Amino acid sequence: MSVEAQQGIATPRIPAGLGGLLPALILIGLFFVVPVLALLLRSVTDPAPGLQNYAALLGDGTYARVFFNTFLVAAVVTIVTVLVAFPVAWMLAIMPPALASIMFGIIILSMWTNLLTRTYAWMVLLQRTGVINRALVSAGIIDQPLPLINNLTGVTIGMVYIMLPFMILPLVGTLRAIDPMTLRAAALCGASPLAAFRRILLPLSLPGIAAGGLMVFVMSLGYFVTPALLGGTSNMMLAEMIAQMIQSLLNWGLGSAAAFILLIVTMSLYALQLRLVGSKRSTGAA
Amino acid sequence: MLLDYDRLGWLKVALLGFTALVAAFLLLPVVFIVLLSFGSSRWLAFPPPGWTLKWYEELFADPSWIEAALTSARIATMTAILAVAIGLLASFALVRAQFRGREILRGLLLTPMVLPVVVFAIAIYAFFLKLGLGGTTIGFVVAHTVLALPFAIIPIATALEGFDKSVEDAAIVCGASPIQAKLRITLPSIRIGIFSAAIFSFLASWDEVVVAIFMASPTLQTLPVKIWGSLRSDLTPVIAAASSLLVALTLALMVVTALLRRKLQT
Amino acid sequence: MKLIFASVVAGLMATTVAKADEMVFTSWGGTTQEAQTKSWAEPFTASSGIKVLQDGPTDYGKLKAMVDGKNVTWDVVDVEMDFAIKAAKDGLLEPIDFAVVPKADLDPRFSNENAVGSFYYSFVLAWNKGAVSGEPASWADMFDTKKFPGKRTFYKWSAPGVIEIALLADGVPADKLYPLDLDRAFKKLDTIKSDIVWWGGGAESQQLIASGEAAFGQLWNGRVFALEKDGADVGVSWNQNLTAADVLVVPKGAKNKDAAMKFLATATSPTGQAKFAEASGYAPINTKAKAEMAADVVKGLPDAHVDGQINLDMNYWAEHRDEIAKRWYAWQAK
Repeated sequence: MSVEAQQGIATPRIPAGLGGLLPALILIGLFFVVPVLALLLRSVTDPAPGLQNYAALLGDGTYARVFFNTFLVAAVVTIVTVLVAFPVAWMLAIMPPALASIMFGIIILSMWTNLLTRTYAWMVLLQRTGVINRALVSAGIIDQPLPLINNLTGVTIGMVYIMLPFMILPLVGTLRAIDPMTLRAAALCGASPLAAFRRILLPLSLPGIAAGGLMVFVMSLGYFVTPALLGGTSNMMLAEMIAQMIQSLLNWGLGSAAAFILLIVTMSLYALQLRLVGSKRSTGAA
Repeated sequence: MLLDYDRLGWLKVALLGFTALVAAFLLLPVVFIVLLSFGSSRWLAFPPPGWTLKWYEELFADPSWIEAALTSARIATMTAILAVAIGLLASFALVRAQFRGREILRGLLLTPMVLPVVVFAIAIYAFFLKLGLGGTTIGFVVAHTVLALPFAIIPIATALEGFDKSVEDAAIVCGASPIQAKLRITLPSIRIGIFSAAIFSFLASWDEVVVAIFMASPTLQTLPVKIWGSLRSDLTPVIAAASSLLVALTLALMVVTALLRRKLQT
Repeated sequence: MKLIFASVVAGLMATTVAKADEMVFTSWGGTTQEAQTKSWAEPFTASSGIKVLQDGPTDYGKLKAMVDGKNVTWDVVDVEMDFAIKAAKDGLLEPIDFAVVPKADLDPRFSNENAVGSFYYSFVLAWNKGAVSGEPASWADMFDTKKFPGKRTFYKWSAPGVIEIALLADGVPADKLYPLDLDRAFKKLDTIKSDIVWWGGGAESQQLIASGEAAFGQLWNGRVFALEKDGADVGVSWNQNLTAADVLVVPKGAKNKDAAMKFLATATSPTGQAKFAEASGYAPINTKAKAEMAADVVKGLPDAHVDGQINLDMNYWAEHRDEIAKRWYAWQAK
């Protein structure tokens, strides 16, 4: 029984604490579900009732390629972000506070410049005639400029840059909550650092990784500014394609059908992730 | 031992080095933008042929940039406050309450992050037109709060899940009311989560351009919308100047906060 | 009694008059909209007393949504011409009131029943003098990687321009361009695809050429004008320049239709067009405007380069927008 119940505080028949969900449900229900459903309905009514929009999307090689490419980029970005973020979050979790504040400051500062401006800066930095290539060439490290832009590399660099803070901050929270005694005990029992890492630290940090990873993956799926500026056309992402359909071709039936497919696939992946990592480890458990 | 800073040995050096590299990576574009804002060439050429203050002059001479920045700040702040408040309440329910369909509800609350933004933009715009909320600040904030809510819920719920509830229960047993226990024990413990939620929600609104275009009106132009318009027609380092000013502002704020904290602690 | 009645009527009329004192002009933002404001909106307000509120940027999805939702907040909108033709077909635009907007001197290439020209421009061949040896002269040179090595930049979106360039480079005579042979165009583009860097916005195109990241490319003449004005080392060839236009439209159900039409009259007047052209480097759509412009500015206009000038067929594009777009994005995604 919850503490409240033990104290004799009357608990209503609905499960305790559900009331907190009310504002969120009203907000999302009224200002998201209702309007969006109305639009998504057009996927089967616009221009004529039926499933032609879906048939067109699923049967066409181009759309399939764009879908595949979008999920590929999102996956690559997420993995790279996790790999880069983990060591940093680890340090931040145990660093002396003075150093940690500086690093936090740097992280927040990097998020503060407008997204478009930051992406433009990367464009200039990564170009063949850009700063990075020129520095590498004049230092003699390479003699031909590296293709760092208009390809998957450019998109990954640009997006990891934007996503890092979203992965680092939740991860720091999770790591800080781990009791250092657990690891000291492991060391005392003779576990090697590698074993301690693999069998204690990593599993315990999984909730943070899952939470951050989810945010990063989903955000990457929906991004189009950065991939548009830093990627090549063969890297076209779904969000850009849907934006084209809706804003340029004014084909709302097709656009909403594509959006709906993306929604279904992503939510399925989310459900899968829950089952694999365990519902306890996702964004909340009692 | 792995979580003890002083006992890491060579691992500490490696991790610190890596962290420093990442810090440099994070700062690179920012430093670059600041340098460009002083360059005399219109084109983002580096190194610039000369140095000048004319972009800053142009920036201050044009009130619409400052107005746009203030509008963005206003909307982003309101969005952050609303999103964190709603997100906090929702997270407690999602993490603590036991009920069927909890996973489904959690998934539902995350869908604004998943659906392509342009679809949401059109949908909410058409909806607001019917309600007469198009082009109003309230409509703008509501629309952005919907987008920001998942960013508020995820960090708070994660932090809450890692929090040991028995401390809160102990406080209640010692006589605190449930609300008091939460305010004085739980919330401070999850403050990184709340802080992250606030920052992410603020930035979700601050940087947002698609919904902002739809919610815009002659009197409601946000900074990203203005930059978007500028980039389409002419590249100008004025944008770099605007960004640099914001960076300077943030730095100043952070330094002031750090100094204040040190003063309060001594 | 009479007094009360009169004052009520006066009060009501006051409200109506107050509303008619404003209209909303929407364009793409940036320096172009600033020039439009200076050249059209300000003189218009001075002469008519009607206030012009600036909104933007133009978003076609938003336009459709507001017309569909019967709550139109934009009165005059600057759009691309091929979009205007399609929008008219979809029933999204008001017909232009030519009793208010004088039609006689408007360039017929750039206006129709539902749209009057805003400005027109040409796609020209521009190059970074430091990155290219020799002078490219025609679109065919853009496809000659032996004579002119280096990256080329083209417009990224499915819009009039790139396909015609490919066909012209492949030897199709200008008067035989339409209907567009898409297969032939894509085959020609495939020969240089790995050397193409795409630009999505005016600023990007300028950045690419100015930095030398792209040796040469297809640019809007206004952007090249800005580059030259800024002292960038660029060369330009007007040979085979391709014209396109932005037009001004009034969305169906606009709340201040009368004010909108009057605004259009000012915007398309010789003076209005001349002022805007001088400020932006774009070309006027009023044939009498040149008389009011400085001679050296006139030299830089597409009007001065009609030899070999080709008009992109907006009607063809409006008709076939969807199928061309599909082929275009499919080709790009390969």
